[in-house]
Amino acid sequence: MSFTLTIDGRPVQATEGESLLQVARRLGLDIPTLCYLEKCGPLNTCLVCLVKTDGRMVPSCGTPARPGMIVESETEEVHAARRTALELLFSDHVGDCLSPCHRLCPLGLNIPVMLRQIEAQQTQAAILTVRQALPLAGVLGRLCHHPCEQGCRRGNWDGPAAIRDLERFVTDRDREQPQPSLPPQQPPSGRSLVIVGAGPTGLAAAHALARAGHAVTLLDRHAQLGGTLRGVPESDLPAVVLEAELALLPRLGIALQPGVELGRHVTLPELAERFDAVLLTVGEVAPADAPTLGVPLAGANLKTDPNTCQTPVPKTFAAGAAVKPVKQLVRAMSEGRAAAECVDRSLRGQPVCRPEKPFSSVMGRLDPAELRQFLLATSSASRVSPCDRCAGFSPPEATCEAARCLHCDCRSSGNCVLQHYAQVYGADANRFRADRRPFEQHLQPGGVIFEPGKCIRCGICVKLTELAAEPLGLTFVGRGFDVQLAAPMNRAIAEGLQKVAEECVQQCPTGALAFADPSASRA
Amino acid sequence: MITEVNGVSLEVKAAPAPAAGTEVDLAFVDRTIARLGRAPDTVIPVLQAIQEHFGYLPQEALQHVCRSTDITPAAITGVSSFYDMFRHQPVGKYIVRVCRGTACHVTGAERVEDALRRRLRIPAGDDTDPDREFTVEPVACLGCCTLAPVVKIDETTFGHTTAEKVPGIIQDFLARMAAGDEAPTSTETIHRPRNGRTEIHVGLGSCCMAKGSDRLFHALQEGARQTGTDVVVKRVGCVGMCHRTPLVEVATAGKRSAFYAGLTPAHARALVQRHFRPRGFFGHVSRLWTRALDSVLTDQQVDDQVQDCALDVREPGVLAFLGKQIHIATEHFGRLDPLSLDEYLAHDGFTALRQCLGAPDPQAIVGAIEQSGLRGRGGAGFPTGRKWRVVRQQTDDTKYVICNGDEGDPGAFMDRMILESFPFRVIEGMAIAAVAIGAHEGIFYIRHEYPLAVRRVRAALAELEKRGWLGERLLEAAYPLRLTVKEGAGAFVCGEETALIESLEGRRGMPRLRPPFPAESGLWAKPTLINNVETLAMVPWIVRHGPERFATLGTATSKGTKVFALAGQIRRGGLIEIPMGTTVREIVEDIGGGVKEGRRFKAVQIGGPSGGCVPARLADTPVDYESLREVGAIMGSGGLVVLDDSACMVDIARYFLQFTQDQSCGKCTFCRIGTKRMLDILDRLCAGKGQKQDLAALEQLAAQVSQGSLCGLGKTAPNPVLTTLRYYRHEYEAHLQGRCPAGKCSALIQYRITADCTGCTLCAQHCPVDAIPMVPYQRHAINLDLCTRCDSCRQVCPHHAVQVS
Repeated sequence: MSFTLTIDGRPVQATEGESLLQVARRLGLDIPTLCYLEKCGPLNTCLVCLVKTDGRMVPSCGTPARPGMIVESETEEVHAARRTALELLFSDHVGDCLSPCHRLCPLGLNIPVMLRQIEAQQTQAAILTVRQALPLAGVLGRLCHHPCEQGCRRGNWDGPAAIRDLERFVTDRDREQPQPSLPPQQPPSGRSLVIVGAGPTGLAAAHALARAGHAVTLLDRHAQLGGTLRGVPESDLPAVVLEAELALLPRLGIALQPGVELGRHVTLPELAERFDAVLLTVGEVAPADAPTLGVPLAGANLKTDPNTCQTPVPKTFAAGAAVKPVKQLVRAMSEGRAAAECVDRSLRGQPVCRPEKPFSSVMGRLDPAELRQFLLATSSASRVSPCDRCAGFSPPEATCEAARCLHCDCRSSGNCVLQHYAQVYGADANRFRADRRPFEQHLQPGGVIFEPGKCIRCGICVKLTELAAEPLGLTFVGRGFDVQLAAPMNRAIAEGLQKVAEECVQQCPTGALAFADPSASRA
Repeated sequence: MITEVNGVSLEVKAAPAPAAGTEVDLAFVDRTIARLGRAPDTVIPVLQAIQEHFGYLPQEALQHVCRSTDITPAAITGVSSFYDMFRHQPVGKYIVRVCRGTACHVTGAERVEDALRRRLRIPAGDDTDPDREFTVEPVACLGCCTLAPVVKIDETTFGHTTAEKVPGIIQDFLARMAAGDEAPTSTETIHRPRNGRTEIHVGLGSCCMAKGSDRLFHALQEGARQTGTDVVVKRVGCVGMCHRTPLVEVATAGKRSAFYAGLTPAHARALVQRHFRPRGFFGHVSRLWTRALDSVLTDQQVDDQVQDCALDVREPGVLAFLGKQIHIATEHFGRLDPLSLDEYLAHDGFTALRQCLGAPDPQAIVGAIEQSGLRGRGGAGFPTGRKWRVVRQQTDDTKYVICNGDEGDPGAFMDRMILESFPFRVIEGMAIAAVAIGAHEGIFYIRHEYPLAVRRVRAALAELEKRGWLGERLLEAAYPLRLTVKEGAGAFVCGEETALIESLEGRRGMPRLRPPFPAESGLWAKPTLINNVETLAMVPWIVRHGPERFATLGTATSKGTKVFALAGQIRRGGLIEIPMGTTVREIVEDIGGGVKEGRRFKAVQIGGPSGGCVPARLADTPVDYESLREVGAIMGSGGLVVLDDSACMVDIARYFLQFTQDQSCGKCTFCRIGTKRMLDILDRLCAGKGQKQDLAALEQLAAQVSQGSLCGLGKTAPNPVLTTLRYYRHEYEAHLQGRCPAGKCSALIQYRITADCTGCTLCAQHCPVDAIPMVPYQRHAINLDLCTRCDSCRQVCPHHAVQVS
């Protein structure tokens, strides 16, 4: 028996017994759900799938569609309610989606993954991880001021992991190959742009835009590319390393034009005529040079909109020291990358804005007892120093040092429904900040790791064990805010998951249940 | 036996069997399983039996249940950790239950609890003292609100406690235990009354009993026996005037009744002698003899004391208390022996049911209830007749009717009183409902905190079965009806109908999403009618007097009467039944006699944790469903707690939110975490650590919790916060600035001794934490770092020299 109802003003057919969620999904609406699994039926616990009907908010997964219903789904009011549900869940979510080192890296290198790949001696995979995030990775592996290491949780125990040295180790291995690796590239977009100034900012932008599939031309008034990098002493940055990194640029399809100066050999209007976009990364602007650039100034710098990197001149963007003094190399590069993102969006006709920081739940400081939970599953060796400082880590030293990583990033990051919808809904993980529960991590026999603080009490695993008639199974213990997931009779979680461990890990909407095996290849 | 200690009446019963030692008696578990069955839905009764036997749930016993029944380990762990009554650790020898009900809260229960823990040396974070003598257990509400604050040690109830009285209470309790106090005869095994012309009625509801009425009852019986007078001492249900308990009525046919309030067993014989002539010559001699003895052993004072207890019913206070009431659910209050079927029959009992059984079409009963305008008295006020009609229309062969007696609101005890006092009436209402909708099975779901109610309903059912009026037949009709009693296990949320059903099916009491409503798919997925105790208690009257008569009472949309538990900071607390539409002012000022001397009436909290505060300036609001909703409160189940100007409204909001947050089942995000985050904000405010944006954040979150929660508990939990924010925002703002205008929030107040101090040292002697150095004849001073704000010094100071700022 089929009937019609209305969702967000669109009429839609439904049959008896269908839920609002099922009907809405058929319309192509992405209503978020955390606790819904067709096999389990509606559990009605997460309440993130709210829709409004008849003046009331109802969970769409458990509300049957009825003829003539008028349902609101994608409205600001409904979204606000869904966002609040997500934010409430985060207020009681003990865990970091991204590790502190990852969050602190201005270029967003997924450091824990790199470390696990090094530990597993998957050097090629580690190279790709590094190359995906870092332009001129070999240079950063030597010069970066490594803010990541300041955030390393192990720093409060026996010293942070030697992240920068390990980065250097990876890129050194890459350079030893006959053909160093390139990060993956998007198919050609058919759009072209020119970048003026091949210092760290310009190089990073060129790198990012070339990878995004655009035709990039890179100008520099000097005969040699690299800008301020050329002034670094050989002992800190051997020329051979810089050259090797620069040699990757033509391979990414970037047209290099050294010795071309804006205002002298070419004018801004000419560039704007020839290219779809212009990005000025000329470094600090000398007062004398300013008029020749063709862009109005704000104080001593080029005038730009800080949110879009756009100058008042059409199609023209600017970034780096030309806009705002930048001290650190890695920050200069991240500025280049942010500008690249703006240019990319503009070339694709999307609204222009700087990239947002990736969403992450943040646990904050851990006390030593909590830290110990991480240490249980990790190498207890203290920080390794390379035997030969000039040569950097040897492979065994690198493996040993990488094994010190605490794996404090979430095993489900990127695969977590809660994290996904938090991003989609712009949830603020700190809106209801409160005293958090202690961090706990229970390594189960059989390789399942249970982190109670990440459990959102959705009930999927409880239901799955019930459906599979697990001899012991799982249950909720306690009531209200203190409800916990546990195996009955004070037994271990693993004992309750004899048949459906794999399925429960797979269906867990967060990282509460995961396999402990870091499995670097999977990442 | 009864004694007054520090003005506190004591009632002592035998302690339960001490917790078993290391050996767990598995044979008991086997017997229990044999008795209750092996099906998964027996899990709660089985656990209750084990808990009652061992005092806790020994792990071995639970494992044995898993092995020998179809109950899964997940069910045992899940269920036993969900309900409050279950404990997994052995308890102390004695259990001290501290009531945290609303009335107790506003009269200082927190200080009493602190004092108890200090006196019993219970370490922070624990509930039992190191010697495992006493376990202190807070309970949501003992339902003796007029005696607040209430503490119950094992079966002994102490009313009107204070932190000051705590040492005396413990000492006395232990002395009694050491003396091996004999258990008083149960009031449930009662002698059949003889046909006396005169009767002495003793109220034997739980409140009255907590004030010693059962011992008074036995003393009066004994007195009557000794003096040989022709008098019947009779147990009756709640009289309603809880502020005057124990209340005794001497009723003689054709004469005006004499009332006595506050009698003790010591007065019993004097009372009997005042009123009755002994039978025959020997009785007369015996009377003279005992009188002579009395004059030797006691003094004339006893008789004077009895005279002092006499209550003039024409006294304006009594008239005002009773005058505005109309008794429908509590018909014949204070007259009926709760367990006498004959008396119930003599007062039109079961005529309504007989009428319904004789009706050609049960549809007519539904019609009558619809016509009467009766709405659910459990809180939401859904039209009862409409609910009945929906269940009646279902075509399933099996249908259930459930009486919801899981009255859990702190501050409410109407349902307990009705079940205790009028069990036959509720059974009759239930039977009428069953006939009307075509159900042949019914369940009373009564919370286990109401043991007397459970016992009386069970006894009443047994009496009916004995007469063959229940079971295969209903009265004389060939209508099979089976009624049983199931006890709750301590979870407020089980008052929500879908959670109640989950609980009956042997699961954690977590509400289901409605629709489907229980009327379509309820217990075991069958159509189920769930009505509140009071609703069912109204039904026989409506049938007997006709729906029109019921509908003449009350307002346009709220018909009939409503029973309220009137308690808090008020002079005449008790149980009242008034027509809908009576104003808050009439209830508080006329019936309740207003607040205590020197205090100002501030607000009334109506509807408990789901309701709100009606401020004094809106006291002319009529009590009906719509008007209350308009001002932000709800009718709720009928708890009515009066607050005077010593109440802090932020604290009240926090109190209720703490309750709902604690009682949240934890299923849905908004209620589980949302109420906790709201409470975080209120805790901050009461601790003086509020932040500027807190009020806006609280308001916003309250609205979203109310909108997004799955069931009624979560949807209404923000109400106490929203109404206090609406009417008392200035108090919230004061807390933001670090002030508690009512001087209640202990983090925001300081005690100070003024120049009026004479150096009597009383405060120093009573300070439980030695924060006041003893300096005779000098002005004392309080060390604020040590002071716990227990208020003891202020209470004992004879010169009012202790001030709170």
